Amino acid sequence: MNTTRRNFIKILGGGTAAAGIGVAPAFAQTGPVKMGVLVIKSGVAAQVGESGLRGTQWGVDRVNAGGGILGRKIELVVEEESSPKDTVERFRKLALQNKADVITGGISTGVGLALGPVAEELKALWLSWDATTQKGVEETMPNPKYAFRSCDNECEAIMASIITARNWKGKIKTVAGINPDYSYGRDNWAAFLAVMKRYDMGVTPVADLWPKLGTTDFTSHVAALQQVKADLIFSCFWAADASIFLKQAHAAGLIPATRLVFTTAGGVHETLKKAFTPEGMILGYNTMYFEDPKASALQKEFVKWHYEKFKEWPNYESDHAYFTVVAYKAAVERAAKAAGGKWPTAEQIIPALEGLEVESLSGMRRYRQDHIMEANFYQGLTTYKNAYDFVTVNPVEMMTTKQVQKPSGVGLYDWINGWKV
Amino acid sequence: MFHAATLFLVAAGLQLVFGVQKIVNLACGSFYALGAYFGISLVTWALQAGLPPPLFLPVLLVAGLLLAAIGPLVERLLRLIYDRDESFQMLLTFALVLMFEDVIRRLWGTSPYQLGQIYLVYGQLRVAGLTIPVYNLIVIAAGLAIAVLMGWLLARTRFGRIVRASAENRAMSEALGVDMSRLYTRVFTLGTALGTVGGALVVPATAASIEIAVELIVEAFAVVVIGGLGSMRGAFVGALIVGIMRAVAIATYPEVEMLAIYLVVVAVLVLRPAGLFAKAAA
Repeated sequence: MNTTRRNFIKILGGGTAAAGIGVAPAFAQTGPVKMGVLVIKSGVAAQVGESGLRGTQWGVDRVNAGGGILGRKIELVVEEESSPKDTVERFRKLALQNKADVITGGISTGVGLALGPVAEELKALWLSWDATTQKGVEETMPNPKYAFRSCDNECEAIMASIITARNWKGKIKTVAGINPDYSYGRDNWAAFLAVMKRYDMGVTPVADLWPKLGTTDFTSHVAALQQVKADLIFSCFWAADASIFLKQAHAAGLIPATRLVFTTAGGVHETLKKAFTPEGMILGYNTMYFEDPKASALQKEFVKWHYEKFKEWPNYESDHAYFTVVAYKAAVERAAKAAGGKWPTAEQIIPALEGLEVESLSGMRRYRQDHIMEANFYQGLTTYKNAYDFVTVNPVEMMTTKQVQKPSGVGLYDWINGWKV
Repeated sequence: MFHAATLFLVAAGLQLVFGVQKIVNLACGSFYALGAYFGISLVTWALQAGLPPPLFLPVLLVAGLLLAAIGPLVERLLRLIYDRDESFQMLLTFALVLMFEDVIRRLWGTSPYQLGQIYLVYGQLRVAGLTIPVYNLIVIAAGLAIAVLMGWLLARTRFGRIVRASAENRAMSEALGVDMSRLYTRVFTLGTALGTVGGALVVPATAASIEIAVELIVEAFAVVVIGGLGSMRGAFVGALIVGIMRAVAIATYPEVEMLAIYLVVVAVLVLRPAGLFAKAAA
């Protein structure tokens, strides 16, 4: 656009006037729908961030090919997710400067904790992919308005712990944890121990190691684990740390000596080579397993597209991201119907998102009334019987968030202690 | 021990360059990272070209040495600030760290980079119920060998004598006819090679990531403070102390891993502010 000085001043004047009368970010009702996306682009989580962007792109392309949302195409404005402080700045930019109608993305809970209050303050609709607003295992925003969060951090740990109890009760006496040193790692280890207790597993934790996120040398940790000789090692590594640790543990002979539970490493499943990853390990794929024999037609189509385009098999982050796109579309359409066909405001879209159920790649997903996602989780025991050079699981087991996520307003430990086992 | 070997190689490059050129070269961490990435690429390429896997070790050495060629280029840039305040030198070398990070991002992407499983081709050793990959022992041995070699080079050769003399008194050696600019280039390149070869050697057992440059610099500083800035023996002992402290902390009280290392740093700063081996050879 050619902005002359005069109309620049006009635009500026208009903006000031709007700000002056205290209007929330004005949503244009013609032209494309602007969807801001926050994506991790560097560091250990870059791969996972990229995966989310692919799921978003695929979803947006499909929506646009089908005529968009109420005739308006979706336009993506991509910004980087990095530290909480910088990401908050980019979130502000997306909401205020780009005037995004909705902002999706967010993987790190550290970032999520910072974004939640800002979304409320700016009255900007935020649909998180993977980030929660949990501090420890407890929710910090029980009644948000504009923030919609992912499933709880510890769902995958709870599912893996239930499978552990079911398969190995009486066979393990000592357990060790090696988890990344931030809230996600801490929450998962705490949830695992709580479930072990609930199932009367009689296990003693003999080591809990906390390498920093991004560690590439685990030789000292492996040595420490060799000394304690635990019957089981629990880990929620989800990035390159999973394969690096397994490789070093295998090289040091730690692996055949112990059972392994890796709750989230299915997100980087292609790096778990058969050369060093054992069979019979509990492996979690979070909310989507690319090779699920019972996968929906939608998932199959996505997996095929993903492999043809990137020569890689997709992971759960694509599913989280795809869900936010289709949930937004469905909610806008639902809200427009209620508003007599007019493009709805954010305040009208919010009640339409609450309780909304739509088909995502991994099956039906929902937003609870308290804006937390409900989804299906997939885990199983690893096997070499496949056509790849990395492990898969067989049979794959599915549990819903009804089974593995604490209900609204209930503390995690109270919930676990109330289980009938 | 394994981690100590890594730290020694990075710290040795830092010490050598500081000892002679009085420049705190933060970019030594980047040389390590670049060596690691380049090592993976060269080995992957060589394996695809039909190299028998057990020969990957010499390829890594070659990768490290080839990459040391960036040493003279960087040194040429640093020449502009030899006479400036130390803070300028730190700023410039830190700028280099950031620039090299972007070079890595451009060439190798942002995800950590690994070299499959070939480092187990040398097998594993069982000692007292523990299994140790032979390759890890090779890295430790290489660290020791390089330490001995550096000691010999500095103490027993003509080059070493000139280096030590220049470290002691630059003006005097210049007056005695030492070509300083050539010497600086050679010393800096040697310092670079310690980093690049180190990175290339260690990477098969671990992984290369963009963050390792900064992480290693921070740890190398702990090593240098403990050992004494500019001392080769200090780098060796400092690396051993940090490596072992870390391993012991992880095995006993994992929470205090960092605390333990920096307690030693604080103790050294209080009791022997110049470090354990201040004023030793170069």
